[in-house]
Amino acid sequence: MTQFLSRKSGSIALLVIVFVACGVPAYAAQRTSGLWWMPDVASKGGEQIDQLTYFIYYLTGAVFVLTQVVYIYFLIKYRAKRGVRATYSHGDNRLELVWTAIPTAIFIGLWGYSNHMWWDVIHKEPPPGTMEVAVNAYQFGFSFQYPGASGKLGRSDVKLLSPENVFGNDRTDPLTKEDFQSGVLELPVNRGVRILLTSRDVIHGFYIPQFRIYQDAVPGRTIDWVWFVPTKVGSYDLACSQLCGSGHYNMKAQIQVVSEEEFDNWYKQKLAAAGNASAANAPAQSK
Amino acid sequence: MQASVTTIDELPAHPGGPNIIRFGMFTFLASEAMLFAGLICGYMVLRGGAGAGWQMPEALKNAETMIKTIIATLCLISSSFTLHFAEGRLIRHTKGGIGLLLLTILLGAIFLTNQALEWSNLHNEGFWFNTAGIMGSSFFVLTGFHGLHVFIGVLLLVTSLLKALGGKFTPQRHGFLECTGLYWHFVDIVWVFLFTILYIL
Amino acid sequence: MAETIVHTVRGELHGSHAHHPELSFFRKYIWSEDHKTIALQYLFTTMFFLLVGGLLAMGVRFQLAFPGAPVPLIGTLLPSWLVTSAGAIQPGGYNGLVTMHATAMVFLVIMPFLIGVFGNYLIPLQIGAPDMAFPFFNALSYWLFFLSGIVLLSSFFVPAGFPASGWTSYAPLSAHAQYNGTQAGQSLWCVGLFINGLASIAGATNYITTVINMRAPGMKMFRLPLPVWALFITAILLLLAVPVLSAAAAMLFCDLNFGTSFFSASNYGQPLLWQHLFWFFGHPEVYIMILPAMGIASEILAVNSRKPIFGYKAMVYALVSIGVLGFIVWGHHMFVSGMNILLSATFSFSTMVIAVPSAIKTFNWMGTVWGGSIRYTTPMCFALAFVSMFVIGGLSGIFMAATPVDLFIHHTYFIVAHIHYVLFGGSLFAVFGAIYFWFPKMFGRMMNETWGKIHFALAFIFFNCTFFPMHNLGLNGMMRRIADPPLYDHLRSSQPINIFVSVSAFCLGLSTIPFLINFFYSIFKGPKAPKNPWESTTLEWTVPSPPGHGNFETTPTVYHGPYEYSVPGMDKDYLPQNEPAPEKARIAVH
Ligand code: HEA
Ligand code: HEA
Ligand code: CUA
Ligand SMILES: [Cu+2]
Repeated sequence: MTQFLSRKSGSIALLVIVFVACGVPAYAAQRTSGLWWMPDVASKGGEQIDQLTYFIYYLTGAVFVLTQVVYIYFLIKYRAKRGVRATYSHGDNRLELVWTAIPTAIFIGLWGYSNHMWWDVIHKEPPPGTMEVAVNAYQFGFSFQYPGASGKLGRSDVKLLSPENVFGNDRTDPLTKEDFQSGVLELPVNRGVRILLTSRDVIHGFYIPQFRIYQDAVPGRTIDWVWFVPTKVGSYDLACSQLCGSGHYNMKAQIQVVSEEEFDNWYKQKLAAAGNASAANAPAQSK
Repeated sequence: MQASVTTIDELPAHPGGPNIIRFGMFTFLASEAMLFAGLICGYMVLRGGAGAGWQMPEALKNAETMIKTIIATLCLISSSFTLHFAEGRLIRHTKGGIGLLLLTILLGAIFLTNQALEWSNLHNEGFWFNTAGIMGSSFFVLTGFHGLHVFIGVLLLVTSLLKALGGKFTPQRHGFLECTGLYWHFVDIVWVFLFTILYIL
Repeated sequence: MAETIVHTVRGELHGSHAHHPELSFFRKYIWSEDHKTIALQYLFTTMFFLLVGGLLAMGVRFQLAFPGAPVPLIGTLLPSWLVTSAGAIQPGGYNGLVTMHATAMVFLVIMPFLIGVFGNYLIPLQIGAPDMAFPFFNALSYWLFFLSGIVLLSSFFVPAGFPASGWTSYAPLSAHAQYNGTQAGQSLWCVGLFINGLASIAGATNYITTVINMRAPGMKMFRLPLPVWALFITAILLLLAVPVLSAAAAMLFCDLNFGTSFFSASNYGQPLLWQHLFWFFGHPEVYIMILPAMGIASEILAVNSRKPIFGYKAMVYALVSIGVLGFIVWGHHMFVSGMNILLSATFSFSTMVIAVPSAIKTFNWMGTVWGGSIRYTTPMCFALAFVSMFVIGGLSGIFMAATPVDLFIHHTYFIVAHIHYVLFGGSLFAVFGAIYFWFPKMFGRMMNETWGKIHFALAFIFFNCTFFPMHNLGLNGMMRRIADPPLYDHLRSSQPINIFVSVSAFCLGLSTIPFLINFFYSIFKGPKAPKNPWESTTLEWTVPSPPGHGNFETTPTVYHGPYEYSVPGMDKDYLPQNEPAPEKARIAVH
């Protein structure tokens, strides 16, 4: 047994050094720049999600510190010492019960909180005045379709989706004729947006870190429950965050959140351009 | 060396029965059951999701295919019984064991032959892995997997036959035969499921 | 009479070699049916695969730190699916690296390390059995595993190279060559995993049968050492989860090669079916990779604290409940996959619940070191670190279990950090600890303690430097599986962190070298090990190091539970399981 005693002080010193060596720089670096933390949130739902993230952060942080402090205290206090025997104990049922019950309560409470928020952020009907935009993902890019002057997207169905008709528009619906497409996701600030998400080939992701929103686009389906309210004017990356092939690393689109007026201008221009185009097309088609 | 020294305290429940082997076989069959459960659940989910898009291809519906398959199914089911009766006789070396085992092999072979013919028939009628939506996919993959199991089962039966002819089975030692039996019954039961969901429902 | 029956059982199982002590070279080293030899075969093979998986990770880290830079030294030698003509890693090739890194680490490293090596080595020795129930299938299991490794890695040499759809191989990307461009590699992936599954099932059948039927007299279930309990539950998980992956892989193979449409939306298939099947396997799989590690860590902690494990029964119940609950939480990988959002809420609930048994285990480990007399041996250092690292990894799991937070961090480096904290800081640390701990038994020699400590310190420091900042990268919105992060505006500024992480990762890789040297040197030159160098109580320490064929000269009889350390009233501070408690010992009845 003495063979194990002789090295004790060295080992403990080593352990302490190791913990300090890892902890201190990691912590110090955290403080010196903002880039170690979440990007500034830019949507309403995102603000709520951040609350929850912080809550869990403090909760788990506290659990971590508590457990590790106690643990390391034990490790130092109960190192092998000559002539001191370990306590003979097989456990303690009361203690066991306590540390089963408390985490259970915490976890169930946390689930309640998080589920409540899940409901708020995803399930709830979006605010009135919400605009619909169809988003179609493909290897390797996104395209967007906006409703025409009526403010409503025409009927579409994934079954109609084809290389010529990537949004699966129902061409018999008069509303479809007004819809127009865009390569940039232009959005007015502080107005709700609901997206109708489809994919042409494989599963893609619709991920906007600043909005704290993620949804997969699944081929063969239209996913229509995702909505958000951008709260900050600016330009963001829409990233595909689901591995989708060799071009996945660079599959993105630009999101432009602008003021209400700017958006109206852009919208009118686009609408006019689309109207001209379809007017030019119409006679050609009837031939 | 010491390999024959044992450490088993709870001894086989019935004296004479190689209980460990049976236990192991049941364990293995649980795993096989999960394999088929995976395939069958996949099929049911797809079929449920396809709605009106799902239809039984003509080639499967016609009476001739049906009758042949029913006969093959009956062969497979009765082979479970013949094997059951063969087992006892082979172990105790009473009369008729070899004959019954041969009959079992024959019935298994009939099932396999029918399946092979049916596949080529369906293929000729234009029903294959990549046709009829998920019906083609599921039909051939499920029956294929099962057919492979029957094929392995027949190989095991043939091996049992050789062992029996060599006088290898005794009331004390017949683990191989017993496992073959369990496997064969399992394959049989799976077929009843597959037949129901693929041909009837 | 009882003896004869068992004799016949063993006779038939053991076939001929029970009566031939002198085995040919082939039967001794290649097709050996001795569980200890098989364990060593697994050990060496798996160490080799660890180097392969690690090197692939080095490739990943190199690309992330220096996107577009040619790979030094070997760049131009690499095949064209992987690198450009200048020798820089291509995006498609990068996906292949990530996929094979994870596939190798999961299926060829962690699983065989924990289950193949320590399952094989420990189960018969710790329960007092001469061998596994089915030695033939045990040997078969190893060779199938070996074959699956060859099949998986051979995809390096086929046209278009490695499969590149991630280790999760989501369909329809994985199901159509026109989408993934790696028909051959992806097909080999399916075949390899199918064979790997057969190996796992053969092993699992063996373990379950052995534990249930072949325990030494007196070895009740509640006297089993915890590694055996953990491996037993793991084997049940393997038995029930792996075949589902096999079924899914077979379907994927048919989609790729026979034109079936299980997973493609055209023709009525369902892309999400793949995810359900995969994660029905995949989640039990992650517990398969941690439970044995937990068992091993418990053992090492108890021995080196000289204390009975705190709450043995609670530990066992926790293992069992993790095993059961593990089958109903798979949907937490699919919160944002397009699955019904009400289902997400239920899966979130079950995920929160499954964290409870892990909490119990953590507190019991702390209870075990409390009041102990802790010996800081190398295995102990790894086991202690295992607990802390598992806590970090587990706590990050709580973020993801909360559905709204997962909306933000899904598929970011936060997940990558979680994976590595539980799998490297957890499972692999436990494996290192176990190697140091059972090395004397396996090879009859001791490993060098000083070099062991150096290995530990380096691995611990660089592990944390590599994977801790990944949490921050994830919170910063860095997506997984992207070959060139600075392409994104929000990631450009965090590139220095990526460089820091990569440099740490290289150091982490290099930290393996002292271990390897220590390991191989000690096999030949280490000091001779006594029977019981750690003064431990379980049965494997009652036989010579290394144990002979058949393990026990005479069947041991077990008198009490596995962790009787520091029993009051005894002179020595440990009471082996096969020694009746002396008169004056005040042993608690359990
Ligand atoms: C060994 C492997 C292992 C283990 C043990 C775990 C354990 C856990 N995992 Fe992990 N997980 C993986 C391996 C593992 N995971 C892998 C490989 C992936 C990614 C797959 C991929 O996509 O490629 C993944 C992904 C993953 C996801 C999906 C994320 C996403 O893709 O968006 C989720 C979501 O819920 C999750 C949750 C959890 C939880 C809640 C636990 C819990 O079991 C953890 C419980 C432990 C603790 C909580 C710590 C100790 C407890 C205490 C100290 C008590 C007190 C605590 C509190 C009161 C908070 N994991
Ligand atoms: C199962 C266990 C396991 C282990 C042990 C590891 C070990 C490592 N992993 Fe692993 N990793 C996974 C499982 C694992 N990983 C999984 C499941 C994924 C998800 C994949 C997916 O998205 O599909 C993943 C993904 C993953 C990514 C994300 C890639 C991406 O999404 O784009 C990264 C990036 O840094 C990474 C890095 C590393 C590193 C640096 C190590 C290091 O710890 C490795 C250390 C190396 C060794 C121990 C080898 C021995 C040393 C040498 C060979 C000599 C040294 C040589 C030099 C220094 C040149 N891993
Ligand atoms: Cu589309 Cu990744
Ligand atoms: Cu999981």
